[in-house]
Amino acid sequence: MIRLAMLTLLLALPALAQQQPRNQVTIMREIDSDRYDPHRTTALAGGEVLTMLSDTLVSIDYDMRTIRPGLAERWEVSPDGLIYTFHLRTDVTFCDGKPFTAEDMAFSINRWIGRTTPRVTSPVAWRAGNVKEVRATGPHTLHYELNEPFSELLSQLTLFFASAVDPASVERLGDNFGVQGFNGTGPYCWGSWTPRNEVVLNRHPTYRWGPPVLQNQGPAHVERVVWRVIPEAASRVAAIQAGQADLTQYIPEAFWDTMRRVPNLTASNQPNYFWDFFFGFKVDRPVVNDIAIRRATHQAVDRVGLVRAVWSGHAEPALNIVNPRTQDYDAQSDAMVPRFDPAAARRTLDEAGWVPGPDGVRVKNGQRASFVTYGINNLTNQRAAEIIQQGLRQVGIEMRIQFYDATVAWGRLATQEFDAFFLSYPYISAGDALSLYWHSRSRPTPNRMNWNDPESDAWLQEARATLDPARRAEVLALLQRRLADQAPWLTLARSQLNVWSTRRVEGARAHGLYGIGLYRGLDLRVR
Amino acid sequence: MSRPGTLRMLTRDVGAALSFGFVALVVLAAILAPWIAPRDPYATDLLAIMQPPGGDYLWGTDGQGRDILSRCIFGLQVTLFMGLVSLIAGGVIGAAVGFAAAFYRRLDGVLMRLMDILLSFPAILFGLALAAIFGPGLTSVIIALSIATVPLMARIVRGAALVVMGQDYIEAARATGMSDARLVWRHVAPNCLSPIFVFSTLRLGQVILLGSALSFLGLGAQAPVAELGAMAAQGRNFLFIAPHISVIPSLAIFAVVLAFNVLGDALRDALDPRLRI
Amino acid sequence: MRRYALQRLALAAPVLLGVLLIGFLLMQVVPTDPATVRAGPQATAEVVAAIRTELGLDEPIWTQFFLYLSRLAQGDLGVSIINSVPVTQELGATIGPTLELMFAALIWSIPLGILLGTLAAYWRGSWFDRITMAVSVAGVSLPVFFLGLVLIWIVGFQYQLLPFTGRGGPLWTMDGFLAVILPAVTLGGVFVGPVARMTRTAVVDSLTADHVRTARAKGLSEFRVVLRHALRNALIPVVTLIGLQIGFLLGGAVVTETIFSWPGVGRLAVGAILSADFPMAQGTIIVLSAGFIVINLTVDLLYAVLDPRVRLS
Repeated sequence: MIRLAMLTLLLALPALAQQQPRNQVTIMREIDSDRYDPHRTTALAGGEVLTMLSDTLVSIDYDMRTIRPGLAERWEVSPDGLIYTFHLRTDVTFCDGKPFTAEDMAFSINRWIGRTTPRVTSPVAWRAGNVKEVRATGPHTLHYELNEPFSELLSQLTLFFASAVDPASVERLGDNFGVQGFNGTGPYCWGSWTPRNEVVLNRHPTYRWGPPVLQNQGPAHVERVVWRVIPEAASRVAAIQAGQADLTQYIPEAFWDTMRRVPNLTASNQPNYFWDFFFGFKVDRPVVNDIAIRRATHQAVDRVGLVRAVWSGHAEPALNIVNPRTQDYDAQSDAMVPRFDPAAARRTLDEAGWVPGPDGVRVKNGQRASFVTYGINNLTNQRAAEIIQQGLRQVGIEMRIQFYDATVAWGRLATQEFDAFFLSYPYISAGDALSLYWHSRSRPTPNRMNWNDPESDAWLQEARATLDPARRAEVLALLQRRLADQAPWLTLARSQLNVWSTRRVEGARAHGLYGIGLYRGLDLRVR
Repeated sequence: MSRPGTLRMLTRDVGAALSFGFVALVVLAAILAPWIAPRDPYATDLLAIMQPPGGDYLWGTDGQGRDILSRCIFGLQVTLFMGLVSLIAGGVIGAAVGFAAAFYRRLDGVLMRLMDILLSFPAILFGLALAAIFGPGLTSVIIALSIATVPLMARIVRGAALVVMGQDYIEAARATGMSDARLVWRHVAPNCLSPIFVFSTLRLGQVILLGSALSFLGLGAQAPVAELGAMAAQGRNFLFIAPHISVIPSLAIFAVVLAFNVLGDALRDALDPRLRI
Repeated sequence: MRRYALQRLALAAPVLLGVLLIGFLLMQVVPTDPATVRAGPQATAEVVAAIRTELGLDEPIWTQFFLYLSRLAQGDLGVSIINSVPVTQELGATIGPTLELMFAALIWSIPLGILLGTLAAYWRGSWFDRITMAVSVAGVSLPVFFLGLVLIWIVGFQYQLLPFTGRGGPLWTMDGFLAVILPAVTLGGVFVGPVARMTRTAVVDSLTADHVRTARAKGLSEFRVVLRHALRNALIPVVTLIGLQIGFLLGGAVVTETIFSWPGVGRLAVGAILSADFPMAQGTIIVLSAGFIVINLTVDLLYAVLDPRVRLS
């Protein structure tokens, strides 16, 4: 009995001694990543932590256009746009103290594009361009050679997929790299990870090579960052109000108005945030292969009302595919998108020969105007889908909803068993968004629309390869107009990014690259 | 069992009378849902999102601008359907096992051991397992709740049947060469009805509670189906802005289950005092 | 007694094997191919085939079952399809918090339930009895999530008195203790009613027993009769019934863990099922089932120890 009491006391002592460290920032989020390996993870949940753990060759400013130095302090591009020579900083070290060299960077890029053994398959290897070779030509010089020009390359290299990792740690940890440990050059170092619970990062004490877009180039002001998973939105709202956590970007829009009135909280908004919610059609599937159905859908869905309802007005109602603030956006294509007008939708369907059937659903040649929609099962999708379903029902189109949990959904969305789907995605520019989704080569994913148009492919090819920005904007505009005309995709909302923080911390400026709220987190400071 | 006596006892107990009236009302509302619901339970009004109760929409609207009152009325339909189907499915199988155990004494040991095993697992585990196998959905919930009901019903029926079997007239009937099935159907079963009835009423409440919990967890009815547990789950996301979205369906579940429980207790007191645990 | 214990054990073993078989079959009938899920959307057929071999999915079914049992014997329940974390590791991390929550819920609700039940029996027929019984019926009818949501809304959010965002640490730390209060109140809240009801019935029943009558005849006060004699005898069935109610408690725990983000087995199970993480789902279900077999066995044996009638038979 006495022994038991002593044991309890012993166990209790460290717990009692453990106090909340003063110089710690707790960040809340909704879900955890499956791993923290930049070359195997594409999830936002992975990226937001990886952006603190590692660096990229180049960085991007808050305007989402200007490319700034990163691990490379300068670079040259050959006149044909094929060879990029990056001159790396000489003062960079990994978390374990080992100096960072061009060899390490070459290894990292090659690992990303699947050219190291054991081979890693990153689903986003295409973002590195059509690479001929990447190699170190000096201790701090990197030779990056393409087979064809890629106008997007530098902005793609700002994404966390292009992070530098330590080859020795990758080899040592094998499959557990990014699971049991990590070694990068970032402002914070891997502390510990309890899956679905929390990731703890510690300050990288010798870090001095932060991107110039930030106020602080290092080392970080805060000693420790704790990323805590709190799946319930309501719990996150309450926790930040009660000061149990310091920061989060995962507050549903419905709470924004209430949260703005809380004196203890501030929100940092990023206007140049490109994360769209959309509804796409598989253009070669029955019913939805009829352009009339697709155009009528545009006319039947009240996107202003949708944004008001689902995003509580804190998103922009969208027209065509890309955000007006992105590079190479085409305004004329926006004007071509059919507007909300249920009467017009009925006319469109009438004219196309879809006549009302006995159950209210229209019929044409014995085919009911009914289609199946897939998506990820989350609250935003659920609400948007239910509202769209009602809008379509009003004009005589039946939409059947089949949502799957995130882990299953991606597999389902790679099949051909559905007609339409809900998704959302981040992008950097018009060229990025369009080449991601609309090249025939990208079928079946991410081109789930099965969009297969030789002209579109040719435009995308030209936009990628041209060295003339005006010409690139021109061909991308042609594609935007083609898509507005054919209506294979309905952008539902352009979401906004608010990074919420308590009075306790400052420097939580919203950046939003690839949806990631904080950029490196170097400016964070506890008051 | 004397029916007039039962009725009199029920009416004398205020709580029982109230709950009986409420249960009747709920069942009626569920059946008549398409006619009495003031609005289409799926129609979204984008100009009236998360309206609090009391305005144009009597019980307010949910996050998609749908009428909560209408959704609750239709939700009752789904909830009661789920409860009744699993009660009947599990009850019929359980009763068959119970009669068999009482009737064929050689089977008794094996059957009741089997029932004990089933009984040792909580219903929620069946819910989890079935949802894991067939995927989340109303069907999984119904099967799980049916399985969980089987051993309970088997025990009740076996107990009641054993008492009846001890009566002289059973021996007499048996002597006339009546077939077993006929004997059960004509003589044993009718005399076991009151405990079955009492148990079913109480069980229905529990089944509804469990089913709505499974739906709340996302393992049962799926959106946009109006089901009370699922509605509460969806409303939970807006708990701090519009608590009525989850509170109203939760209250509805509470009221229905409470009514079945009070009614069941009263029935038990009236019909079968021996069953009092 | 030993014979009885052996009998019970002998029964528990095949049940456990049955549970394992069902758990194994679960993996066979699932509509989604674990290899495909694991490989991800971009995977080629070769990658999927390689994963199939790795997981042993191409062996004959009985071989697979024996492989499965032998792995199980070594404490290997497989790895999560989603994050490749060993199932046993996740279970090890979540069982503690679940037991902690159940403990925190029972530590106050059982004594309170027994107290209320005893008092109701003592004052049977009084307004106290009526109210207690009415409240306990209401308690049995109350959806756990309703109680939890109301507590979160009012105590946690409106007045910000207590945290509700998950576990704060071990129970004996201040953070851990504060964090467990609301979940424990929620889970225990639906348990007080049944305990009170069972206690009242048992105490009332034992009040009619011979030795209680004798005690009463000796002129002991009614209060002492109830406390000393009736309650003591009533405790045996009450303890047993509470043991059997642990299943009911589990149902509540799954919901409570979900709404309070409590990192327990129930929440793990629900998450795994929703995300079609079959190894994880199977692991949680097997462990919970095994837990119940053990609990039932313990309750049976405890009952046998406490109740001489069972011991002798």
